[in-house]
Amino acid sequence: MVEQTTGVGAPPVRRVRDALPLYAVAAAVTVLVLAPLAAPGYALLYDMVFVPRQPLSWDLVAPAQTLPRAVPMDALMSLVTQLVPGWAVQRVALGGAVLLAAVGAGRLVPTERLAVRLLAAVAYAWTPYLAERLLIGQWGLLLAYAALPWLVRAALDLRAGRDGALARVVLAAAPAAITPTGGLIALGTVVLLVWDRTRLRRSALVVGGVALLNAPWVTAALVTGAGGSSDPAGVAAFAARSENWAGPLVALAGTGGVWSAQATPSSRAAPLVPLATLLLLILAGVGAGLLRRRLPPGTAVRLAVLAGIACLLAALGVLPGGAAALRWAVVHLPGAGLLRDGQKFLAPYALLLVVCAALGAERLVARIDREVAGVVLVGLLLLPVAVMPDLAFGGAGRLRPVSYPADWQVVAERVAGEPGEILALPLSAYQAYPWNPGRVVLDPLPRYLPGTVLTDDTLRVGDVAVAGENPRLREVRRVLAEGLPVSATGVRWVVVQHQLPSEVDPATLRDLEAVHEGPFLTLYRNPAVPPESNPPGLGAWAVVMALGAALLVVMAAAISALHRRPTAW
Amino acid sequence: MRRALTLVVSGMVAALLGILALGGLSAAATATDKEAANEAKSVSEAAKRAGKKDPYAPVVYGDR
Repeated sequence: MVEQTTGVGAPPVRRVRDALPLYAVAAAVTVLVLAPLAAPGYALLYDMVFVPRQPLSWDLVAPAQTLPRAVPMDALMSLVTQLVPGWAVQRVALGGAVLLAAVGAGRLVPTERLAVRLLAAVAYAWTPYLAERLLIGQWGLLLAYAALPWLVRAALDLRAGRDGALARVVLAAAPAAITPTGGLIALGTVVLLVWDRTRLRRSALVVGGVALLNAPWVTAALVTGAGGSSDPAGVAAFAARSENWAGPLVALAGTGGVWSAQATPSSRAAPLVPLATLLLLILAGVGAGLLRRRLPPGTAVRLAVLAGIACLLAALGVLPGGAAALRWAVVHLPGAGLLRDGQKFLAPYALLLVVCAALGAERLVARIDREVAGVVLVGLLLLPVAVMPDLAFGGAGRLRPVSYPADWQVVAERVAGEPGEILALPLSAYQAYPWNPGRVVLDPLPRYLPGTVLTDDTLRVGDVAVAGENPRLREVRRVLAEGLPVSATGVRWVVVQHQLPSEVDPATLRDLEAVHEGPFLTLYRNPAVPPESNPPGLGAWAVVMALGAALLVVMAAAISALHRRPTAW
Repeated sequence: MRRALTLVVSGMVAALLGILALGGLSAAATATDKEAANEAKSVSEAAKRAGKKDPYAPVVYGDR
């Protein structure tokens, strides 16, 4: 996009001097949000699971029995944690997401005023969207959120015919594409912003490149045994939620509205929050015209279409007729289950809202004298923090690192020697551990232990049970429901987790040999099932090929980008 | 006169936002592990009183 103060032609010293305040503010916001991560350990909250060293198992690279919700994220984590400990990866991923979101938004605003850039940076890094997706632990989605302003900028550079922009589009889309949702947001952004009928070859090349980044999860979805349909009960369970008296549509307009009350900062329930949303919308309305004038013709309309689609997807579950259409789609259209939690698609809207609001502030202060303008800009800079202060310090203490008990490593080592299917009990997708007080987290065993770990995939939202898709789990549940012992499920290993509110009936564990008994975990071996490592099928190799192709695209883009720089460093 | 009034009003609004932001930040900063656990406990108890499922019980992903 247009960047008038730090243009390519500016001397390097001036460029650094101009960019410094933006990076400083972004760093301050990052520290403020993630301060608790200065303590050692792993922050484990809802879907946020990091382990010391994630095994490179076939089930994490190409899940055979589940939908590929974390493809290729898990494969990349397995690769990276072979070299870097998981706690460091967590800090780099979360810190990088908040920092780059702020800097990216600041740089995207077409303005000459530094204060307006800072306003956009703080506003984009302090949205309810970022807070809620952080507190529900979906860090992969935060990477997509952070990559979005950089991707938009690179896409607009490409439209303008700037040198090296094609490589930058691919490089900016790559972190977004580590999850299916992020990959789709990146692809939609590129299709809408870059596609140009007069430059078909270039358009096809860049769209094809970003589509290839989506190939791993698409391939995994085609080869999984989980099928393509999802439980329609999830449509109502994961629809946008009202945060206060104003209803879900106003919550979405303020970039909030995640389905989970536990992932929503308490401050969002305040009765004055809709007024802050209204102020933001008015500012954005005031700034929209400025954005349209400062961007190349047609570009603002494309951005608005992108944001409009994002809003429509987010609101579909609460619009009249939308929920029924969505229920039909998740049953009959393969992959439509992705649309159930539509609020996650709101990122492009959040970006446009922030950019327009920042320009609205610029337009507002242009009419008043300098001293007053400074005061107004400071007030607007503080507004996001004043409205939602409980994002600070890891959501006011919700994000706090803990250490895995020593039991976990012992069990991982014992299991590694004898490959075979592992069943985690009690059957529950999410656990509330006494060593991670007051928090619920997706069971980390599938990412901690080498091999295929079976955990329950039924999601319980209040009183609603949203069925999972894993056919092997259905079989295990049937066996246990019939009152048969766990040994009849045909798994090689059984890990029983202790000190949890629900307990495992010891009678079901008969015929099993205890090989490790610790305060938090007991590991049982099933002597009726010999150790075996199932060779990967053709489907798994297809996913690996797709992953390889995506990595090749990223490497080619990286090499191209480095070649175009005056110096590689 | 009008300029001075605008400056005073916008200054007061900015100061109010500053106080709200700082107050909120200090509250967030002083939230301890124990307080987070207590908050979760009170949410659990409220859910039980209302006859709803406990959002912090292990089988519940979340509550709407």
